Amino acid sequence: MEMSNIFHNICEVLRFEADNPMIFSSGLFWVLFIIFIPVYALLKKRLWQMVAFVVAFSLYFYYKSSGGFFLLLIGTSLIDWLLSKLVVMVEKRWVRRLCVFASIANSLGILCYFKYANFFMWNWNMMVEGNFQPLDIILPVGISFYTFQSISYIVDVYKGVVSPTRTWLEYLFFLSFFPALVAGPIVRADYFLPQIRENRHATTDEMFGGLWLIILGIIKKAIIADYIAQYNDLIFESPTGYSGLESLMGLIGYVMQIYCDFSGYSDMAIGIAMIMGFRLMKNFDFPYKSRNLSEFWRRWHISLSTWLRDYVYIPLGGNRKGTLRTYVNNFLTMLVGGLWHGAAWKFVFWGAMHGVGLAVHKACQPMLRRLPDIWIVRALSWGLTMVYVSLLFVFFRAASWEDSWLIVENIFTNFSLEYVVPFFTARKVWAVMMVVIIGSHCLPSRVYDRLENWFIKAPWAVKLLVFVVVVQLVIEFMTENVAPFIYFQF
Amino acid sequence: MKNLKDYLGLWGVLSVALLLICIISWSDGFSLFGIALKPAPIAERLTREPERSDVGASVALKQIAVCPVEKKMTSDTASHRILIFGDSMLEGLNRRLGAYATENGHTLNSVIWYSSTTKTWAECDTLRHFLRRFKPTYVFVSLGGNELFIRGIIESRDRYVKKILKDLGDIPYVWIGPPNWKEDTGINELIASNVPAGRFFVSNGMKFDRQKDGAHPTYESAAVWFDSIARWMPLHADHPIRMRRPSSSAPGRPATVMALKPPTD
Repeated sequence: MEMSNIFHNICEVLRFEADNPMIFSSGLFWVLFIIFIPVYALLKKRLWQMVAFVVAFSLYFYYKSSGGFFLLLIGTSLIDWLLSKLVVMVEKRWVRRLCVFASIANSLGILCYFKYANFFMWNWNMMVEGNFQPLDIILPVGISFYTFQSISYIVDVYKGVVSPTRTWLEYLFFLSFFPALVAGPIVRADYFLPQIRENRHATTDEMFGGLWLIILGIIKKAIIADYIAQYNDLIFESPTGYSGLESLMGLIGYVMQIYCDFSGYSDMAIGIAMIMGFRLMKNFDFPYKSRNLSEFWRRWHISLSTWLRDYVYIPLGGNRKGTLRTYVNNFLTMLVGGLWHGAAWKFVFWGAMHGVGLAVHKACQPMLRRLPDIWIVRALSWGLTMVYVSLLFVFFRAASWEDSWLIVENIFTNFSLEYVVPFFTARKVWAVMMVVIIGSHCLPSRVYDRLENWFIKAPWAVKLLVFVVVVQLVIEFMTENVAPFIYFQF
Repeated sequence: MKNLKDYLGLWGVLSVALLLICIISWSDGFSLFGIALKPAPIAERLTREPERSDVGASVALKQIAVCPVEKKMTSDTASHRILIFGDSMLEGLNRRLGAYATENGHTLNSVIWYSSTTKTWAECDTLRHFLRRFKPTYVFVSLGGNELFIRGIIESRDRYVKKILKDLGDIPYVWIGPPNWKEDTGINELIASNVPAGRFFVSNGMKFDRQKDGAHPTYESAAVWFDSIARWMPLHADHPIRMRRPSSSAPGRPATVMALKPPTD
């Protein structure tokens, strides 16, 4: 074993790799976090040293994911902070408004360039039948998340909900806080900024509760979601290549995958922040238990839906301008939400259909309230909601509009029960994982509370054992491939 | 003080866990209660040779024996409409070829016929249908994986290989040989007797990481497999096309993927 090789490889690993961003379930992150913890603990009492250290770590974390774009983050934060200072310093209303407009235009301008430039140009090209060559634009990781944070900050400062931070470093801490930087939850200034000044120590319960959340997140993201994704990807890559039953399983698999992937990552982010003594808002609350679309959006990606409510829906007029306008506002808000997820018409359609669904639910509420609260009504409401949400996920995931319809058509016209036995025979592990996820939704939340309490109070050897077992499971599953087809022969 | 103690406890749990994972990674096979534990790729990542980029498959000497002369031809730099067709081995090849197509400005269409053989393709007009539909200017064939152990294959299936080549006509192609996991009964010999050396990539003898079924290369290994083909093409192929290696290892996606159910015979 050559030491020079090891040194060279360590340097390589620490450098930015475009196709290998550092995420919480990667080994490198945990190695760095083990180095981070003792330094953070020692600096915790010295506020500004702690802030500077966390900012440095966050920027490195961002560099590992997005390379030189960490400079963009620094630049955005500086402009935001200077404009927020100006907002409270000047008294003329139009100047204050101009500052807010400039800050939002800056943040949205950057987001639009990186995320939507090619989309807009492609559409323009379709209209004028031009010869469009896509721009070679790389999307900085997490830009959609921190742009929304930056907008909420300047708006809240303008409204007087929060005071601007005294130092730029403090604001950079808020914007670049690494647990929430690349995939949320979207942190709100009024909720987070006071916590920096408070500089509260994490209690024992919070620290090991945080570790428990991280373990749950790893199970959801790195074991379940990453494994079941392999089969789901096959279905979405070859929409006509599978039977209706297989397509349906691929769709149900994707519905579970997206939940486990995203909520697992959010759990890890919240857990890491908890260990550091910071509270981030809950992002998922068993969304697939929802019995209507409004409830679904109160449980799914909560930090985004509340952000859209406060900064899009309410400014549009909310429900204060009559029934019809409420529906329109709902629809427009979901349209923005759809476009936020990605620069493609499929996301716009997905958002629009959720908007339509929410409007229909609101319109039907007087009638729905008269229905008796019995199990059959509850089951039907749940079933209807899940079918609607799941079918819309087809458009969210499929590569194109055509592929989406092919999958839906396949499910409804090519469904045969003769595939049931070979399917579950060939995909036992996939099926077990699906049962685990669905089962976990059926458990009452007090079970999770008890498990968490048990873990917090367990001796350190038990905590170690649980953690090691979970990490080893990740290693076991990361090289497993799902059988490419339900037939054993190829 | 209590807080520092808690941090120390947490740090201890994470550090000991990392230590244990490293020990397993560096050990020469570690099993617990009779279950062999997979090692984390830590040791492999840290000790690998700096220049080495291929893991999972390597070009065997046997391949070079088929094509002993390096022709050093100039690659055709045009953008091509590529068609790849064959059996389920395409599942793995598709992803990497898709990435090459995107990188080099080619359009890739893919037809996977699960469980298919040379006989399946030769006895119907499916291939001709897709040739008419996609009008390919370059073709990759990946067939033979389901015919490794057929007795008397050279006599019984020679006409099928000839029929497929006849269907391809003048279109330049590369036949990607099956990735043997055991010695075959003659499929590689059969292909080699019909296909010129500059159009046949022999995969037999390469080392693959296999999926659980023991036959299909893992997706990572299949990617390295196609990398080997792309490296082979400018040196040995009769009609090399532009195959610059993609900067990312992310899988690509063909423009079209047609997946056909296994033949019923």
